[in-house]
Amino acid sequence: MIELVIDHDGVNWNAKNEVLSVSSPTLDGLDLALEEQMRNKGLVKKGDKKKVFMAFDNSTIPQWIRQYAQHYFNRVVEISG
Amino acid sequence: MSQEEKSTLSGGDYEVDDVTAGAEPWEPIETKLVLWSLAVAAIVLILGLIFVPTSILH
Amino acid sequence: MASINRKWYSGMTTQEDWWAVWLGLFFFVMGFLSLAGIDLVGWATYPRIWVFNPLDGGKGDIASAFHALGGEYSLTSKEFYGGLGWWSILWTYVVFTCATCLGAFCMKWNLRKFFLGWTCIYFMTIATWFVGHHAFFAANTINCEKYGLDFALSLGGGASFILALIVGLIIGNFFKPFANFLSEAAKPEWYIKTAIVFLGVKVGYLPIKAALTSAKLGKEMAGLTGELFLAGAVATVVAYLIFWPGVYTISRLIFKLPRKTAAVLGSGISICGVSAAVATGGAVRAKPVVSVMVSALVVVWAVIELVVLPGFFTHVWPTTADPLVAGSAMGMAVKTDGADAAAGGLLDEFMRNKIIIETDGAVQWPEGVITASAVMTKVWIDMFIGLWAFVLAMVWVYKIDKRPGETVLPSEIWHRFPKFVFGYFATWFIYLGVFFAAGSGAPEGMDTLLAAKSGVIPVEKGFRKLFFMLTFFSLGVITDFRKLAEASFGKMVWVYLISLFLFIIPVAMLVAWLFHHGMEIPNIAGTVM
Repeated sequence: MIELVIDHDGVNWNAKNEVLSVSSPTLDGLDLALEEQMRNKGLVKKGDKKKVFMAFDNSTIPQWIRQYAQHYFNRVVEISG
Repeated sequence: MSQEEKSTLSGGDYEVDDVTAGAEPWEPIETKLVLWSLAVAAIVLILGLIFVPTSILH
Repeated sequence: MASINRKWYSGMTTQEDWWAVWLGLFFFVMGFLSLAGIDLVGWATYPRIWVFNPLDGGKGDIASAFHALGGEYSLTSKEFYGGLGWWSILWTYVVFTCATCLGAFCMKWNLRKFFLGWTCIYFMTIATWFVGHHAFFAANTINCEKYGLDFALSLGGGASFILALIVGLIIGNFFKPFANFLSEAAKPEWYIKTAIVFLGVKVGYLPIKAALTSAKLGKEMAGLTGELFLAGAVATVVAYLIFWPGVYTISRLIFKLPRKTAAVLGSGISICGVSAAVATGGAVRAKPVVSVMVSALVVVWAVIELVVLPGFFTHVWPTTADPLVAGSAMGMAVKTDGADAAAGGLLDEFMRNKIIIETDGAVQWPEGVITASAVMTKVWIDMFIGLWAFVLAMVWVYKIDKRPGETVLPSEIWHRFPKFVFGYFATWFIYLGVFFAAGSGAPEGMDTLLAAKSGVIPVEKGFRKLFFMLTFFSLGVITDFRKLAEASFGKMVWVYLISLFLFIIPVAMLVAWLFHHGMEIPNIAGTVM
């Protein structure tokens, strides 16, 4: 499974690891951008499906809030080639 | 980098329109969610009143 | 470096929630060693009621206004700890500075800023604790004569709590640069989670304490804590599943808010406050700013509830006729663990003093039971929110947003689980185990119970009250009432106001009454505890 770290900069969702880096104002847009980038880099072949795990970077949440809650979300999406 | 510096959403830079504007129309799934929640509450309430020894039914 | 929850053990050394467990358990173990005849916690500082001019032979000498609890309760080092007096403040400071700074270091906070902020907060908290124990505030109309006074406000330890909150609020609202200077160490939620672990010691100790006067009373107390456990669980599930759809509908249909904002508000206003707002925001995949905005409102409203509700419940309804209805309702109505436990502590002080005055001392309740009832419902809801967020995540991902290919992970429930409750339940059940293992108050187990008592009191009384005081003070420091006037919050302030006072609080009171009405706290008047 491919793993990415996802965060939000106030405008865009951003997901990245050492080889992939995508941004979009919506999660739908993010998934589409990821699909395209994975195809371009040959990480998913035509007709194949690959699971991608996205772990939210909780340091995006302001520090004063983190004492109340330490987790935003993690998600798994299936990317089709 | 400390965890404080990494945060990008602290302070007063809220984009309030994003948060409070643009209400979508009410959809049947929301009715379902609300009613199911209340129905489960009612079931737990009835079972609780029957089985919890400190409830007003005892 | 990114802070992510990948494995089940992620965050064990880097999150406040876990650090509340480590701090709480560390001091619990130190206290527990008293069962082996080793007293390592007797230095815990604690205030006494004082006056400037005590009567001859009367109480309230200012020289003993602070003392080490081991001087009273230690079985092995009474003389040593008895000699510490005011120096116990420094002992407590040094030990807790080391412990909290270790936590701050592991959590990668700015250590220098934390140390300086902690030091200021600690000593200002101690100062308010001292002032709040002047007999005029803390004595009641029954015992004020012993201090040479004709009248006292009968606030008990509540005066110190109120004073700490007021001083914190003054700093947070009028001395912003100083509040910013303190901010690294103004962590009410960390302090209260640690205090709740100490409260677990208290709840486990209540039957032991009662059994030391009579075995029957000990069993009654063990039964009462068990009943609170069960009633609290059911009441919170019922209340939450009524609160959430109610606030969601109000937000959507009356105030025309978007779905995700309404969902986050529904959780934030309902019970859990900030933790629920963040959990729900993540579950419905809202932009984090939605949770941040709701959280900013929650902390302000929580302090308003903290100020209003203890007095209301004590003097208007349900009063001393139903103290555990009040405690339970507090847990369901007041947002955030910190404000709720603080409000429960305040209610405890108000109620206990009121019943003494009403009955001329014929009825006295042990300290901490009402606080425990307020925390019990809150702890349950803290656990329940993880499940509810999971349900919401499935509804949003699979039904509302309908995002093909996305899966909601069951591990989310674990990552959102409040870890400090492990410390709370562990310390509670271990001391409950000691109570039963020692024969539930049988004469042959008395030595064991006395040994346990010497190690428990510094933890459940000294450390817990200190961390409650730190919570009150820090809550004040981080609360900025100007947030309510900010135009950007507009509609959300009104949703909050209407939902809270016209819906949440009345429903909380009703549900608490349904499950706690008639529960009685054992009367300890005439017993030496």
